[in-house]
Amino acid sequence: MSDTPVTTADPFERPLTRREVIKRGAVGTVIVFGSTIAFAPKRAAAASTASSITIGTFQDNALSPIRDYFNGLFTKETGIKVRYHETSYNAWYQNAKNDGLNKTGAYDIYIMDDNWVPEFAAGHIIQSLDKLGFKVNPDILPKGVEQGLWPPKHGAKMKAFANAKPELYAIVNIDDVEILYYNKEYFPHAPQTWDDIYRVGKAKFKPKKLYGWSARGVKGNPIVQTYLPLMSSYGANFVNADWTPGFAGPAGVAALERLFSFIPFMPPGVAEFDTSQEVPVLLQGKCTALTEYTGTVHVIDDPKQSKVVGKINTAATPKQERHGPAIGTFICGVASGSKNPQGAIQYLEWFTSSRIQKQFARRGGSAAVTGSALHDPVAVKKYRWLPAIADAVNTSIPKPRTPDEPKMEDILGTALNEALIEAISKKQGYHAIAQKHLSSAATQITKYLKQQGGYF
Amino acid sequence: MTAVADPVQSSRAWRLRLAATPYALLLPALLALAAVSLYPIFYGVRASFHKYRYGLDMGSAGKQNYTDIYHDPVFWQAMKTTAKFVVIAVPIETLLGLLLALLVARELRFASWIRVALILPMTIAPVVVGVIWRLIYASDIGIVNPLFSHLGLGTPDVLAHYHGAFFGLVVLDTWEWTPLLFLIILAGLHSIPQDPLEAAQVDGATRLQTFFHHTLPLLMPVLLVAVTLRTIDAVGTFDQIFVLTGGGPGTSTQLISIYSYNTAFQFTQYGQAMAMLVTLLAFLLLLMIAAVQFIRRNSRAAA
Repeated sequence: MSDTPVTTADPFERPLTRREVIKRGAVGTVIVFGSTIAFAPKRAAAASTASSITIGTFQDNALSPIRDYFNGLFTKETGIKVRYHETSYNAWYQNAKNDGLNKTGAYDIYIMDDNWVPEFAAGHIIQSLDKLGFKVNPDILPKGVEQGLWPPKHGAKMKAFANAKPELYAIVNIDDVEILYYNKEYFPHAPQTWDDIYRVGKAKFKPKKLYGWSARGVKGNPIVQTYLPLMSSYGANFVNADWTPGFAGPAGVAALERLFSFIPFMPPGVAEFDTSQEVPVLLQGKCTALTEYTGTVHVIDDPKQSKVVGKINTAATPKQERHGPAIGTFICGVASGSKNPQGAIQYLEWFTSSRIQKQFARRGGSAAVTGSALHDPVAVKKYRWLPAIADAVNTSIPKPRTPDEPKMEDILGTALNEALIEAISKKQGYHAIAQKHLSSAATQITKYLKQQGGYF
Repeated sequence: MTAVADPVQSSRAWRLRLAATPYALLLPALLALAAVSLYPIFYGVRASFHKYRYGLDMGSAGKQNYTDIYHDPVFWQAMKTTAKFVVIAVPIETLLGLLLALLVARELRFASWIRVALILPMTIAPVVVGVIWRLIYASDIGIVNPLFSHLGLGTPDVLAHYHGAFFGLVVLDTWEWTPLLFLIILAGLHSIPQDPLEAAQVDGATRLQTFFHHTLPLLMPVLLVAVTLRTIDAVGTFDQIFVLTGGGPGTSTQLISIYSYNTAFQFTQYGQAMAMLVTLLAFLLLLMIAAVQFIRRNSRAAA
């Protein structure tokens, strides 16, 4: 063992001079910044080239066949490599928006929810497909195509866009729409009206064993999705052509009363139900019918999840005065900063072609976007729900096309949830409850739209 | 010919340099602080005076965002719900934290194990806590409904009722954050000088008298700091609510954090959302100034 004392020359023991602090700080700074610069080329390399495209999306099971099979097929057929980046819904909405606003070129195609289109088109986050020379396959169901137009072809239009010619900014890639799921043990044929469902639900209801109806009752988007097919079928509009809310009139109130009429036959706690609670009631064989989006078709015959394999049939949501399924497609736009817009167009035209859509329908019964795929005998033989999806899309009624739609939906969704809770607790006076809450929501929406400007 | 420096001037320049050196050395740190801490606040305040549309900054909106939120009943409802949540949850957590700290501060046989068990909830990510309690409360697969039903109390359907959901949230928060107060108070208890307590016991004071007349006053500065920190944290509660109720049913659990998040990221009204948060910040600052004054006065009185 050495007894040599540590001298002040030992750099780890003696205090550092100012010069040494500056020198070492400079070296440290160079290392930190140098390393970030060294990583930068990797990021740049992720951007698309002429022989590749980059698709960004939220994670959803309906998109899995695209990720797992069709992107590879596109590469095989065209030689264009596809990069596919998935993240959560909310994160992707922000990512896509930031990417488009800053034109970073990180993505070529955004897969979006259809209600993003007004904001993304008006904000030039996505490019006009018309201007890029995109050719729409005439086989695509028209209602699906209309979801990608800005300004909208029909319905209320914002003042600033009232006279603008509708342009195609996005093309539908999954025809997601609300359909009726019914257990054929209780409905030998698809119920035609809500009254039919009410009659069977009431007759078959057995407390805790079999519910006549199940619904998404939680505030916001879920309960709005429950209410919309009812509201539309009773003849009411979310908003009228002049942007006045149309649901607080007699038709909208009657539709909500119809929903309340199911309360005695619905599971307790329905006011907190979202899809993850509503659908299992059906799959456990404890419910005669419900309305849901097309994602549920993938589980109704899965023996791991369903006790009613082969027993659930589908149809367009019932009509009362008219049909009114709610439509909520997945839709693709080309990023404003796309490095390879022509590659993106080639991909979108390829994926929405009748040939590929037929394959898409045949692989798991996905909600294809062309009429020929949804009525393809080979696909329909295996996946019985496909014609119901086509029917529902053809009779669907879209939500208001405005960037303020999420706020309008939140106001209505909160009012509906409050109304449902009050109706469940009072068990009577449904008309007055429906009238009170819908009128309140209508007033709030009108006030909000006036505050935003550009509507009245 | 070489110039000879004026020794007076040279000395003054040297003194000036000497005095300026610490500030010059501090400058990079101050700039870094300004960049990472102050600039975001400045940017947020600036955004609160701007209008956003279609994801774009449309320019100055003057005080319109503040006027809009002032006339927005949902904003005031959210502020009220936030205040109600803090006023109910924080005292419960403080009281429970104090009781647990007093219990564990004694030399119990399994004290160290109990301490570990008590702080476990705090170590779980808030989102996970939200998921756990969502599963506990869920009316279909949860354990609360069967438990109440078994006891003949009916099925509460916690998340389907205004009061049920709100108090369900308070219970969750209490479970998660009582350990924080427990830890701070326990540390405070260990730092209290023992002499006054022993003297009080020698003088025949009961345990309760010792606690209320000696322990509690000596612990008060720690308690106030703990309550202040917890209050700031409770006002910003977000993850658990986002997962548990999303702010519902109705607006019963919509704290200002949830409403401003929705306003920014769902309704894309970034300006209004920032106006809400700046208003909240102003309220919080006032509250904190009052708390600091109270702590100072209390410390002086204790001294």
